[in-house]
Amino acid sequence: MPGITIDDHAIEARDGETILSAARRHGFEVPTLCHMEGLPPTGACRLCVVEVEGMSGLVPSCSHPVAEGMKIRSRSPRVLEARRTVVQLLLADHPDDCLYCHRSSNCELRSLSAELGVDQRLYRGPRSTGEKDVSSPSLQRDPDKCILCGRCVRVCEEVQGVAAIDFIKRGSATMIGTAFDRGLNVSSCVNCGQCVLACPTGALTERFQVDEVLAAIADPERFVVVQHAPAVSVTLAEEFGVKPGTDVDGRMVAALRRVGFDRVFDTSFAADLTILEEGSELVHRIRNGGVLPMFTSCSPGWIKFVETFYPEFIPNLSTCKSPQQMLGALIKTFFAEQQGLDPAKIVSVSIMPCTAKKFEAGRGELGRGGLPDVDYALTTRELGALLRRCGIKLAAIEPDAADTPFGGRTTAGKLFGASGGVMEAAIRSVHFLLTGRELGKPRIQALRGTKPRKELSLEVGGLKLGVAVVSGLASARAVLEEIRAGRADLHFVEVMSCPGGCVGGGGQPIGLNHEAVQARIKALYNIDRDETVNVSHANTEVQRLYGEYLGRPLGRRSHELLHTHYERRDVLR
Amino acid sequence: MTDNNRQVLVVDDDPDCRDQVAIIIQGAGYEVISAASQAEAEELLLRHQPRLAVLDLMMEEMDSGFVLCHTIKKLYPELPVILLTGVTAATGMSFKSQDPRGRRWIEADIMLDKPVRIEELRGAMARLLKD
Repeated sequence: MPGITIDDHAIEARDGETILSAARRHGFEVPTLCHMEGLPPTGACRLCVVEVEGMSGLVPSCSHPVAEGMKIRSRSPRVLEARRTVVQLLLADHPDDCLYCHRSSNCELRSLSAELGVDQRLYRGPRSTGEKDVSSPSLQRDPDKCILCGRCVRVCEEVQGVAAIDFIKRGSATMIGTAFDRGLNVSSCVNCGQCVLACPTGALTERFQVDEVLAAIADPERFVVVQHAPAVSVTLAEEFGVKPGTDVDGRMVAALRRVGFDRVFDTSFAADLTILEEGSELVHRIRNGGVLPMFTSCSPGWIKFVETFYPEFIPNLSTCKSPQQMLGALIKTFFAEQQGLDPAKIVSVSIMPCTAKKFEAGRGELGRGGLPDVDYALTTRELGALLRRCGIKLAAIEPDAADTPFGGRTTAGKLFGASGGVMEAAIRSVHFLLTGRELGKPRIQALRGTKPRKELSLEVGGLKLGVAVVSGLASARAVLEEIRAGRADLHFVEVMSCPGGCVGGGGQPIGLNHEAVQARIKALYNIDRDETVNVSHANTEVQRLYGEYLGRPLGRRSHELLHTHYERRDVLR
Repeated sequence: MTDNNRQVLVVDDDPDCRDQVAIIIQGAGYEVISAASQAEAEELLLRHQPRLAVLDLMMEEMDSGFVLCHTIKKLYPELPVILLTGVTAATGMSFKSQDPRGRRWIEADIMLDKPVRIEELRGAMARLLKD
């Protein structure tokens, strides 16, 4: 292990690690804008420069490996001045709209300006005048706020395997753009929103719909219903400065009521319903020579990914709608009938950890008579904004329970928020469907955690099952390529577009924060550990729904309301 | 207006956009009459009563599409209007027909930002025409 000194402190570095890595591990905070944990360095932003004795120029610490005896200065006057100059140059053409920029409270450029003592705009270049791209139903881009750090490009290509955006043009005209610079809406973007999490400034955001939701609530003619996804309750508190992994389910339900929603439902109920439909579909496919492996269909980024890049695998996708859309369909049919409401007067809102859910809600095939099943899909961040706008203090509210008939959930439905959760819940219920008995050990450790790929072979009720769980679309692409090349031992594959699953979704609090994702997952596992009803088929509200309305899984009504189809997608790429 | 009226008015000063929109609408089984400006559209509306209007916003004037919406709703209050616009890209200003401020004065039933996807425009048409 090489011994080095940083600012005269002797430390032991690890073989092959970078100066940045060694420095940060020992408490020397070195600023960066382009560095991304877990990806190879690019050395593009030059903010992380340090002085190394014996070297004439400043060295980018993110890409320079340590060596025995290296003497490093991480905060010499020369280093600090160089960093300040980098930020001052970035500010030269940056807009002055911090007062109303959506990222003003968590903008990395703004923080760095403060940290590095930038107190004036020293250089004044002509303002960037790129065209805003607001064409996508999920995401919007403002190139004027882009500092060309490249993090969005890297996450899109290297983590998600999509490459919808890249550097285009040259020199001072360089910008981030889509193919032919024609807008995200007609590009290969799958709307996952990982670029939003990666963006240090306000150049990338979701398409905001808080105003529309508040307008609907204020309209006495409208009956406004909200559902919240499994990952949201273990994340929302972070929007209010509470540590990651804190579950605020009951408080969130009470807060949504205070906002003025007429009913508050839990998407985890529909996750339980999904398990019964999807589990039955899997068994049906295996027993009847259907197309295998079957892929899960809850993640709308993944669905668009298959439609765009691998249309030959469309028959492998489960025909089940996502839980958001299943619940949306039931709200405007079963619930509307039960309550004597005109479906056209119901406004169905969802709170999702996801930006692709906005796109999904607008898919034409998911609705009836021109009416969408879900009218507005807000992100976890937008829910934070909504509560702040309404002056609702989450910490001061007494918890409350969600409404019937779609408020009851099991812990299996809640696990949908974590990568591997759908698979674990499905195995528990498929075992019951096939044997009539509960699985002895319901918690399947091999499928848990944030690893991008997890695989398992098991026997369930006499059926041999090869299962895989992947999160992050680049990992999904690798599995698809293996299957394309002839791999035939898999029967069921769970794919979540975002690393770690929905808890790491593009609609979650800003930042690619692996520790936060792990804490949120742990909170979901704790719920599964602490509560008693942990299999979807034991959800009494789901049982009642089948008894009173749907009949049976894969039945006529289920087919009509809970299943869908997909189509090959032509995009500019 | 008769039930079998399949005529859709398309107004856009950009011939590429106009043609693309026309092709999408024709592909959905409708007949297209088109105009390249607010003035041309107003003249067409004296002779035709289409079932749907799909309008660009910025044409001979920055607000031509908004004005045309008002004219249409005055002449034919039941005629649904879709406004297709690149106004935010061009000016940075954002307009929404569905938020409380927009609802007060934007007469379009649906506003979509350019470029639109084929299924997105067809979905908007389906919502308004209920065919």
